[in-house]
Amino acid sequence: MKTEAIVREKASMEVEQPPAAGGGGGFNNGNQSSEEQKFSVPVDSENKATEFRLFSISKPHMRAFHLSWISFFSCFVSSFAAPPLLPIIRDNLNLTATDIGNAGVASVSGAVFARVAMGTACDLVGPRLASASLIFLTAPAVYFTSVINSATSYLLVRFFTGFSLATFVSTQFWMSSMFSPPVVGRANGFAGGWGNLGGGATQLIMPLVFSLIRDIGAAQFTAWRIAFFVPAFFQMLTAFSILIFGQDMPDGNFQRLKKSGEKPKDEFSKVLFHGVSNYRGWILALTYGYCFGVELTIDNIIAEYFYDRFNLKLHTAGIIAASFGLANLFSRPGGGMLSDAVSRRFGMRGRLWALWLCQTFAGVLCIILGLVGSLSVSVVVMIIFSVFVQAACGMTFGIVPFVSRRSLGVISGMTGGGGNVGAVVTQLIFFKGSRFSKERGITLMGVMIIICTLPICLIYFPQWGGMFFGPSSKKVTEEDYYLGEWNSKEQEKGSHHASMKFADNSVSERGRRLNTSTRPADESTPSPTHV
Amino acid sequence: MASHKVVVASFLLCCLAQTCYGGVLFSSLERTIDVTASPNEGQVLSVGVNKISVTWALNKTLPSGIDSTYNTIKVKLCYAPVSQRDRPWRKTEDNLSRDKTCQHNIASKPYDASNKTSQSFEWIIGLDVPTATYFVRAYAFDQNDMEVAYGQTTNEKKSTDLFEINGVTGKHTSLDISSVCFSAFSVVSLFVFFYIEKRKGKAASSVEQKVIT
Repeated sequence: MKTEAIVREKASMEVEQPPAAGGGGGFNNGNQSSEEQKFSVPVDSENKATEFRLFSISKPHMRAFHLSWISFFSCFVSSFAAPPLLPIIRDNLNLTATDIGNAGVASVSGAVFARVAMGTACDLVGPRLASASLIFLTAPAVYFTSVINSATSYLLVRFFTGFSLATFVSTQFWMSSMFSPPVVGRANGFAGGWGNLGGGATQLIMPLVFSLIRDIGAAQFTAWRIAFFVPAFFQMLTAFSILIFGQDMPDGNFQRLKKSGEKPKDEFSKVLFHGVSNYRGWILALTYGYCFGVELTIDNIIAEYFYDRFNLKLHTAGIIAASFGLANLFSRPGGGMLSDAVSRRFGMRGRLWALWLCQTFAGVLCIILGLVGSLSVSVVVMIIFSVFVQAACGMTFGIVPFVSRRSLGVISGMTGGGGNVGAVVTQLIFFKGSRFSKERGITLMGVMIIICTLPICLIYFPQWGGMFFGPSSKKVTEEDYYLGEWNSKEQEKGSHHASMKFADNSVSERGRRLNTSTRPADESTPSPTHV
Repeated sequence: MASHKVVVASFLLCCLAQTCYGGVLFSSLERTIDVTASPNEGQVLSVGVNKISVTWALNKTLPSGIDSTYNTIKVKLCYAPVSQRDRPWRKTEDNLSRDKTCQHNIASKPYDASNKTSQSFEWIIGLDVPTATYFVRAYAFDQNDMEVAYGQTTNEKKSTDLFEINGVTGKHTSLDISSVCFSAFSVVSLFVFFYIEKRKGKAASSVEQKVIT
């Protein structure tokens, strides 16, 4: 993506980058203390950007955005690189439909635990190192795809490659660390959506790379093997870029911040505890399983569905399959932006209602998709369904950053992992073997979406309210909620200051009609700390 | 409910339209051609190395004139049931436009009804033929390119005279070595970066200490 840094909008925002800024955040923060850092976008008290400028690569905020979505995109390309080439691979390896189905389940199940682990890793070592490590460690699985020769080895490489989908969590964590609450929904939405795009893009990229290599002269069964070097290499390249150009937080990298005492080292067990004991994390994990999990399931089955039911050519079915994933370009970010817009007026309650309405409607469309019998109506319904289900994904991550501050990574990981669990469970119940025809499976999946979205009604934030109830009458504040994660000893040590700042900034989740009882009425937008 | 009926009706129409256009049904074809192929039952052949010789001729016991519409004979390599099991992309369907049993072409020769001698063809097995169990079938096409008759080397149940072909693996030593090298590079790079980060961290904390003291 070639972008130009649109950094100088107003003269007052023009800043000097520190002299040693040649390579970027990774190596050059040695002699800069955080108070002196200036940014080219307006920031809040935690130095998180309050504006999201899509076509800028200013460091560190927008640069982090581009690094994270591109690396996540490459992981999606690698994880779903095999399905479009299956017509060749299945003959080369003599696979059966069962082998293929099992590998499909394996490809999304690896990431279930990897996502939770990634969440914890982000809390402890920072998103930069966590994601780059995962990408470097899963690249071998993609390289080794070119040497497999059996159904078992096919399943294994897809399983291990699928671990890389855990970079989703580091993406969301990174965005939540770099962007302020009023824009975190759209930052997460764009990063997640443009990453998910990889699942659609790969259906177009891999066949293209394959035919190019075959036309140069390689035999068919060799050409697909060579083709896998492309996503593997691209993936490795993104890991290098993250480490060289990226930065964990607006103030610098975890390691340096930890060593200098600015970011206190946190305890793994406490972080994990505060994550898993927060019931909202579990509810979001379930509901995310029925928007993102459904998206992954559709990625795996929709080409075959169109091919079999409407007797299309595999090539045509592949294009339709790709369009489902490509809708992510605007639909998931759209969900994030809508969540932010609704929050401006209605606060967190608006975010919850928007998510419930959007995802329930996606379920209705899914039911219809399984029932329609004409090709053109089916494609139209599928596209509308893709927009709503992906928007629901974006909206989920408009809520996740607020569930916990201390254990943001664990919550992100649980939710992300829940997405994959949804994909595994749904594929096992409805799309394995021949108990249900694919169209019946799709309709039943729609019913399950509606049922599993209902728990959103149970999410309640005492400081902001829930879908059916307003904020608690005990006048709980944001500070009370976020400081509840730190005990008095930890507060004495001052470990909770980052949470305090976040609490202040999250007051925007009250919506426009402010609860004036505990806060002075002027604090509705964070004041910029740059000159 | 009217809209539901419209949807069902249009679906049925599409299905019927499909059968109108598509396809000759295999069950409507007569087995009039005798086909023999060189591989013995159970023989294992390798692609690119072994050859298959196919010979075909009209069955002599049939009344004359039956082949008046035959224009071309196409000989194909077809999957045996054991290689079709749990593989819907090789499924046998009665409607020949949707049938996927015979996916590899061996030969295509014009047919002359007046010339009763058998025709034959020697085929080096193509490199893109996958590992599976096969038999050989010949279809007779008329001038409109519609199937009118067939013949095959095996019986009705497709259980006799089947042979195996071993396809290429597509693997190359150079690919294996490259995979290992790139993978090793990937893992080693990670550790190099970790080491650099640790050193930076130490340097930063010692600078901070100097600043403080």
